[in-house]
Amino acid sequence: MSRVVFGHLLRQNALRLIVVIVALTGWGMLMPVIYSAFGQQLADIVNTFPAIQQFVHFGGGDLFSLPGTIAVGYIHPIAIALLSVFAIALPLSWIAGEQQRGTLEIVLARPIARISYYLTLLAASTLFTGLAMAATLVGTVLATAAVGLLDQLTLANLPALWLNGLLLYLAIAAISFAASVTFDRLGPAAGFVLGIVLTSYFLQVLGSLWPDAEWLQPYSIFHYLDPSAVLLDGLQVFDAVLLAAVGALAVVYALAVFPRRDLAAPA
Amino acid sequence: MATVIETQGLSKHYGGRSFPPWRGHETVRALSDLTIDVREAEVFGFLGPNGAGKTTTIRLLLGFLHPTAGSASVLGRDIVRDNRAIRALTGYLPGGIAFYDTLTGEQMLDYLARLYGRPTPLRSELIERLEMAGRTMKRPVRDYSRGMRQKLGIIQALQHDPELAILDEPTEGLDPLMQRAFYDILEERRAAGRTVFFSSHILSEVERLCDRVAIVRAGEVVALANVAELLNRRRRHVEIRMLDDSMPPALDGVAGVSDVVRRDGVLTCELEGDIGPFLAAIHGAAIADLTIEPARLEEVFLEYYADEGPAT
Repeated sequence: MSRVVFGHLLRQNALRLIVVIVALTGWGMLMPVIYSAFGQQLADIVNTFPAIQQFVHFGGGDLFSLPGTIAVGYIHPIAIALLSVFAIALPLSWIAGEQQRGTLEIVLARPIARISYYLTLLAASTLFTGLAMAATLVGTVLATAAVGLLDQLTLANLPALWLNGLLLYLAIAAISFAASVTFDRLGPAAGFVLGIVLTSYFLQVLGSLWPDAEWLQPYSIFHYLDPSAVLLDGLQVFDAVLLAAVGALAVVYALAVFPRRDLAAPA
Repeated sequence: MATVIETQGLSKHYGGRSFPPWRGHETVRALSDLTIDVREAEVFGFLGPNGAGKTTTIRLLLGFLHPTAGSASVLGRDIVRDNRAIRALTGYLPGGIAFYDTLTGEQMLDYLARLYGRPTPLRSELIERLEMAGRTMKRPVRDYSRGMRQKLGIIQALQHDPELAILDEPTEGLDPLMQRAFYDILEERRAAGRTVFFSSHILSEVERLCDRVAIVRAGEVVALANVAELLNRRRRHVEIRMLDDSMPPALDGVAGVSDVVRRDGVLTCELEGDIGPFLAAIHGAAIADLTIEPARLEEVFLEYYADEGPAT
């Protein structure tokens, strides 16, 4: 780890971090408010038309219970897009992007080992993602308290939800870093990661809305974050271990490849 | 005099066996069998046109690339095993340098200096001499012109007074005044016992600055010599205009003289090596005008780049 690089990353991304944290806090607040305002009415509508019941279980969540509504918030494209700033955009930009621009070259011309540089970037990504996940939860708890529904939320399970969410996005970040150290240019690296993430997301959503495609869900990385289950029953150990294993594999790959590979000249 | 850079058969081929394996493609020989030595306190020029292997060599020395064959050491350290230690003692200016555009020049220099963990004794002097003082350093790099970026690049490479400076096309984008300032800085670094290795295709600056040069062609060194020695080897064109109808001096057979042509009271010939025998041969002749064109590195360079370049 390089403290100098870490400090530089904090300064460079402070504004981005604040913006995403504020946005995710707001997003986290939105879900309990929606449930409080429309949950019962939506439940009545769905009960009137049982045929559409399956289609409201978007991504494994629902809008008829507080945990289900919070789960929808976590799997919603807006939340994923905001968290992807730290899990996809920055890891891709920090290595493949900087290599393409030429800034990686002037940093690595200094006496800093590539492994140390990679671990510093990973640590920064972990910190930013952890803070963003925490911001979402803080927003959720504040709004739940504001609408008077705290009794429906098991506060003791919130750290487990934070950890499970963090593990999901760290696994995605580790895959992004793995692509970032593999490709010389940002485009191919971004294409590779977005291909994996979008396919994975599609499998999870499709499986949640269409019973015949339910078997596809275990092939999606998003399947291993089930906020409803975590909020009701605590940490889902298998999910957490699987996400940790995916992340660890990607980290080991990057640690093996990055120091050994040739760094192409900037574009 | 100690050797600062020493390469033995250093080669870099792309393609074939590569990592990861799916990146393999046809083999390109970017550098083949490079054997050079750069001595302490010299300015060493590395010459060649684009694609000759100059930047590949620099990237190998700094550990950005891994050699396919051969070995090299910089400041007594192996480029593969001890590259981090090499980079701690080196200042590097890449060709077409890039910076973090949102940082100011000052912040950029601070960040890069902190990564070295060394004091920056030359920073303020370099800023002053390259006319970057005052508000310029407080402006974001994105507002800099190409020349200002290049000057910032030179400052970041030299600010910590490195034992070895590796500079890739250092005067690209500098105006003539700044080029002159830069040449003075390099000469002072040499006088202070520092070593400079720089690649260029601007032959006049190499001729002016360098003690020795290596000329690379298609990834191979085709000449490695003192600049003076190279120029000495170069054939110079001589023109002698005789007074009235005086007989031209007899130059046939004089050591170093060739291609003697006499026409209309004008004698032309080619002169190579020691000028003494030529001067002795024309002594006493009724000469109205004598022109010996100075040998230029450019001609030497072009000679090596002819289809059948001379063997080393």
